[in-house]
Amino acid sequence: KRVKEESIISEEEAAQYDRQIRLWGLDAQKRLRGSRVLLVGLRGLGAEVAKNLILAGVKGLTLLDHEQVTEESCRAQFLIPVTAQGQNRAQASLERAQYLNPMVEVKADTDRVETKPDKFFLQFEAVCLTGCSRDLMVRVDQLCAQHNIKVFCGDVFGYHGYMFSDLGQEHNYVEEKPKVVKPKTDESNDGPEAKKPKVDPNETTMIKKTASFCSLKVALEVDWTNEKAKSSLKRTPVDYFLLHVLLKFRTDKGRDPHPESFEADATLLRQIRDDVLEAMGLSSELLPHDFVSYCFSEMAPVCAVVGGVLGQEVVKALSQRDAPHKNFFFFDGMKGSGVVDYFGPK
Amino acid sequence: MVQLVGSLRKELADSLSACRVLVVGAGGIGCELLKNLVLTGFKNIEVIDLDIIDVSNLNRQFLFQKKHVGKSKAQVAKESVLQFCPTANITAYHDSIMNPEYNVEFFRNFMLVMNALDNRAARNHVNRMCLAADIPLIESGTAGYLGQVTVIKKGLTECYECQPKPTQKTFPGCTIRNTPSEPIHCIVWAKYLFNQLFGEEDADQEVSPDTADPELSWNPADTEARATASDQDGDIKRVSTKDWARSTGYDAVKLFNKDCLSESLFKDDIQYLLTMDKLWKKRKAPLPLDWLEIQKLGKILEVTGTGLKDQQVLGVAGYSQLFSRSVETLRSMLADKGDGAELVWDKDDPPAMDFVTAAANLRMHIFSMNMKSRFDIKSMAGNIIPAIATTNAVIAGLIVLEALKILSGDVEQCRTIFLNKQPNPRKKLLVPCALDPPSANCYVCASKPEVTVKLNVHNTLVLALQDKILKEKFGMVAPDVQIEDGKGTILISSEEGETEANNSKFLSDFGIRHGSRLQVDDFLQDYTLLVNVIHCEDLEKDVEFEVVGDAPDKAPTPPSAQEDKNVANGNKDSAEPSTSSKAPAEQDDVLIVDSDEEEPSSSTMDVRMESGGHKRKLHDAETGEASAKRQRLDQPLAADEEDDDIIALD
Repeated sequence: KRVKEESIISEEEAAQYDRQIRLWGLDAQKRLRGSRVLLVGLRGLGAEVAKNLILAGVKGLTLLDHEQVTEESCRAQFLIPVTAQGQNRAQASLERAQYLNPMVEVKADTDRVETKPDKFFLQFEAVCLTGCSRDLMVRVDQLCAQHNIKVFCGDVFGYHGYMFSDLGQEHNYVEEKPKVVKPKTDESNDGPEAKKPKVDPNETTMIKKTASFCSLKVALEVDWTNEKAKSSLKRTPVDYFLLHVLLKFRTDKGRDPHPESFEADATLLRQIRDDVLEAMGLSSELLPHDFVSYCFSEMAPVCAVVGGVLGQEVVKALSQRDAPHKNFFFFDGMKGSGVVDYFGPK
Repeated sequence: MVQLVGSLRKELADSLSACRVLVVGAGGIGCELLKNLVLTGFKNIEVIDLDIIDVSNLNRQFLFQKKHVGKSKAQVAKESVLQFCPTANITAYHDSIMNPEYNVEFFRNFMLVMNALDNRAARNHVNRMCLAADIPLIESGTAGYLGQVTVIKKGLTECYECQPKPTQKTFPGCTIRNTPSEPIHCIVWAKYLFNQLFGEEDADQEVSPDTADPELSWNPADTEARATASDQDGDIKRVSTKDWARSTGYDAVKLFNKDCLSESLFKDDIQYLLTMDKLWKKRKAPLPLDWLEIQKLGKILEVTGTGLKDQQVLGVAGYSQLFSRSVETLRSMLADKGDGAELVWDKDDPPAMDFVTAAANLRMHIFSMNMKSRFDIKSMAGNIIPAIATTNAVIAGLIVLEALKILSGDVEQCRTIFLNKQPNPRKKLLVPCALDPPSANCYVCASKPEVTVKLNVHNTLVLALQDKILKEKFGMVAPDVQIEDGKGTILISSEEGETEANNSKFLSDFGIRHGSRLQVDDFLQDYTLLVNVIHCEDLEKDVEFEVVGDAPDKAPTPPSAQEDKNVANGNKDSAEPSTSSKAPAEQDDVLIVDSDEEEPSSSTMDVRMESGGHKRKLHDAETGEASAKRQRLDQPLAADEEDDDIIALD
């Protein structure tokens, strides 16, 4: 799908976007300006992604969330005013989201994402799913990939967070590389080292590249029973398995682990861990006993980190500039480590 | 049974709502940080920022909207945060953290200080204040896609100044005046020219050909002969630009006759340079502009492409017209201000920016360099650091996570964390590294800090010692200097007026010689530094002093390797050089990202002048801030990286 570029950037845009145009260039900014994005889920992570994409200057952002604002969600995110209890979360977030950048068309949609027909998704260049069930994410990913729509998924569970991207089988992008300047070798024996006229060392060149992504379904269904997979286990971020456990919890309970039911949820989480790892042919020792302590609720700073990385991946994909992270990013807020790893066929 | 409040243990959640924290800076990192702090449950937050809101901030400083442009960042940030968290207790200061009001007692009010700064001078200062108050400090920085967070705790970790940071890149006077080879040299020249014609006079910012260029001759006697010859010659074009201007009696017609001025700069001076033929033996010689011929080319039709208007590159005729126009505009601005007025260069002031664009491009053309667009020149002249919301969001998230470790009493869990643009070979995009212990001979946090400085006692002024060495180099704000001469002679007093008479005297006038020791105190920073003086008469040209042991254990990087690294990082070198040329420091250390300050626009300068109680002239302030230029960042090496296979982190 070719993004329509409007060739003239207004003075107002040039002034506001100046500092980012100087980083990623005018072409990238134009592509962003031509892109419509769907964002599902306006909890902590969703609000961060919304902020980042609106500030970046996309053409339009649709906020989709069917949930209502509770007292807790007021404290969890910075777009919802404290007076908005009882309102729909997307609606409540709309005003402050729009204030972030009046040049972006921000819309609120209060429907359940599961009820949306296929053609709903086709109006966007990119779709970003937070707080969604595994089945929904797999379905939407499959649909969008067929139509060359970029798909992103992300969640935060306590101190942990992840993002996944599927940019399709053939994602084209450019990378800016410096022009290699060979220093002139010259003997000068008479006097202080003479300065030589140089080619501007800051000149760069754009190199075209392509990256290929697999579907979420395939990425989640990696076979760990074969020898090769087992040997790579040591270098595999444990968060990949944590993700499976948490997605299963979400599917089974229709919600995420909640501090109010800590004991019961913790017990269930451990049970699910055992089941999930056993089904994969792996030891349940892979996720240590205390893993449950750190995956309740959404930690605001973790939302900020994951939302920042996820937001930037969306910007990169839409602007087709710079190498995308392939295909998972896992953040462990306890350790401060953030890794990019690929799960799927070679 | 673990009691959780949200995702936090109850004890931690309780201490968050009770403690007081200080955020220094309400810009890119600051806005994100304030949001994270209140959402995490911090209740008592004080934020300080001397700056006001600019439209170019709005792409990332999300607490601000267009209607807030011109208002105080700290104030508006507070108001915006209260919108989504009315119960937060926020105090906002529109002020400089270097104001003596914010003394050690002030800092002791807080459990934690978090920097969200963009310049080294303030970072040095807060570093010292936190050491003095023994309060943990979380330091951070971003530039483009890169960022870094670290924790500083007295006695436990390195302080901000334990590792020498590379000083700003400077260019020798002869490069600027005689033999520019890169666009940046021409841009610096153009800014100097602005000051010579419209701004504050500075002997270090001469633009006319340099007859004392060391390249001209091996024989010092020859160089001297040439220098005196030009004085005797009486040819006004070889005298300093300001003197030339003065010699015309500031006759508006003569001085700012566009053609006369331009002829002088772009033709006569170039022709003079050509007579210094030694310079052009191995270099392409400059080509003087035939000013009048160019003028005859008439009005240039500007071609619009798909780029921004500012991204066009005009031709020589276009820039010569731009030069003439901007000179005229600036001349009348100066006249409007009245007698003895001066203009201050400001990248956001259109005629000032036009002037530098035009002058720099004409000089680039003369010296066979490809001319650049106003957009690119503005980046370099204005030290603009590209910046986006997401990098700041990530870094600010990491800051709060480190803060939680500190408040839980788990400071040994704290790390330095680097944000890369791409994952490293170990797949890490965020790289945590163990914190280093304090450096034993740190000139700030060691128990009895000492340094050795090489200078010429006969021609170093007391004022230069105070401003260039103690303030600029050693980061002091209000130094008091005593000579260890058995009499306790006071050389410099931080009290205004007390030792002003000493400023224009030389160090040797006070008996300071080789081996002398000076005791320097900054009482605000609670910092004492012993300075050993080494008298030296053969420092390099344009070098006023050298700190012995500046880059310990490492030889300076050869210039070509240095530039390759710069190129690889894609960052533009936009240094504002003084005339002292120092060897560029090693770049392969992992450094705190100094998202160094843009040249401020004059609107922000007013605030700076008022705050801090410093009667610094705008120009000096500019140079002062210019001394904290942005650093080039390498991909951090894995040297300190934690290896999960080896070190158990939990």
